[in-house]
Amino acid sequence: MAHDDLRSFLDELDRNRQLLRVTEEVAPEPDLAAAANAACRIGPNAPALHFDNVTGFTRARIALNVHGSWANHAIALGLPPETSVKDQVQEFIRRWEEAPVEPERRADPPWTRNTVTGDDVDLYAVLPLFRLNDGDGGHYLDKAAVVSRDPEAPDDFGRQNVGTYRMQVKGRNRLGLQPVPMHDIAVHLRKAEERGEDLPVAIALGNDPVITIVAGTPLGYEQSEYRLAGALRGAPAPIASAPLTGLDVPWGSEVILEGVVEGRTREFEGPFGEFTGHYSGGRRMPVIRVERISHRDDPIFEALYLGMPWTEIDYLIGPATCVPLQQQLRAEFPEVRAVNAMYTHGLLAIISTAKRYGGFARAVGTRAMTTPHGLGYCKVVIMVDEDVDPFDLPQVMWALSTKVNPASDLVDLPAMSVLELDPGSEPPGITDKLIIDATTPVPPDVRGSYGRPVTDLPETSQWIARLTSMLARGDS
Amino acid sequence: MICPRCAYEGVDTLACSPVPEAWEVLRCGRCLYAWRTTEPARRTSREHYPEEFRLTQDDLDRAPEVPAVPPVRR
Ligand SMILES: [Zn+2]
Repeated sequence: MAHDDLRSFLDELDRNRQLLRVTEEVAPEPDLAAAANAACRIGPNAPALHFDNVTGFTRARIALNVHGSWANHAIALGLPPETSVKDQVQEFIRRWEEAPVEPERRADPPWTRNTVTGDDVDLYAVLPLFRLNDGDGGHYLDKAAVVSRDPEAPDDFGRQNVGTYRMQVKGRNRLGLQPVPMHDIAVHLRKAEERGEDLPVAIALGNDPVITIVAGTPLGYEQSEYRLAGALRGAPAPIASAPLTGLDVPWGSEVILEGVVEGRTREFEGPFGEFTGHYSGGRRMPVIRVERISHRDDPIFEALYLGMPWTEIDYLIGPATCVPLQQQLRAEFPEVRAVNAMYTHGLLAIISTAKRYGGFARAVGTRAMTTPHGLGYCKVVIMVDEDVDPFDLPQVMWALSTKVNPASDLVDLPAMSVLELDPGSEPPGITDKLIIDATTPVPPDVRGSYGRPVTDLPETSQWIARLTSMLARGDS
Repeated sequence: MICPRCAYEGVDTLACSPVPEAWEVLRCGRCLYAWRTTEPARRTSREHYPEEFRLTQDDLDRAPEVPAVPPVRR
């Protein structure tokens, strides 16, 4: 079932007992971030959190950890909450293949009910902002969808980008922006700055759960996030034109900010505790000037806690990172079975593949590093056989422990590109990359003593069914 | 009041709590650090602010530009 906004999704989580409403008074700091941090630590089926009684605020409503468990991620995709991670990724891929699904332009977006413009713009009056981690330079927007268009092709819907970027609140109408060089908004900004122009942007806060997922999915430059959202929802994504910029924004957002990235301006930003589990920042970065705010009545402010994995961001972007990598690899190598790139946004990836001939698996690993996402990630790629499930880490450990001879199974590629946020890179943005070939050698590669593997007995699958049904009946 | 992070003396008020007198959000005019007055001392007082996050004018001057501003093409 498709959810058209954050509110209806929170109700759906509530029906599934996956939303915890905290009604006792809490402090904005450190309670809100600490509670979201704690939700990530209490297990893989933690609930979303909703706060409506925060010291000093009168009408603040805050949703945290909305995507922060496998159960919630499944419900976001309209799947049963107990759906396994591997099955969620496979269903994601199946729906991805239905794309593009054209979005639906819908009238009267609820965020047109309240408008603030010009000198009256005050982010603090609309958003209950709060700090996440001790060393953060300020209050951040870290779960918003930022919409921009290619200045050289302003009418090209496909090249309109919807992405999530961290934004530091620096004033009542001022945001710092971190455009990762590998991402589309950095291309838009470079083109605008080469023309000596500002880059118009719309920032959608508090969105339906699939918009948030696609905004964090590494798509090709000309692929539309809204067309993918339609495929993942199983219904066209409802969109509307933002009144000041004309950019296409989600119909159901809680808050829409509009303004420009000021061309050729850089200003001190950060630090900010990042998904790598380390702070980054202390750099001079672009600035957004907010010129108009549109919002629903009593908007819900949505944010996510991030820090040492796993946190909500890992659930949010993990499956979405696996899918394009698997699609791009299988386009050339149908032998690829599955890709698990859920570790630190794919800085480490595990790929299972059948082999054509000796040396094939490591070639596939190298290819993963040259996909669009791999250029900035895939620092370590573990290759496993087709009968190893890359989502089953004990199986992966078995492959690493028995199939690897460091003498020739470690392929080190010097001085490759990686995102600057990788704390191991030196200088930032440059790192060696490593393929660990944990597949069984096949001819003409004849290394090792792998001729007599022990496999599950042919009768085992029948016994799995038999034991499972006995357990379900409660036989003792 | 000085900035807990860089010790600059130019601090202004960004926001006041909707419930009167509950808290204010302050901002440093130099390093842009922002904090709520009710946060723990490790985030609000120069004395308790952690060493690893402190900044000097030199740190601010040497901060790299990311992404670099490209040349104008007309
Ligand atoms: Zn300061």
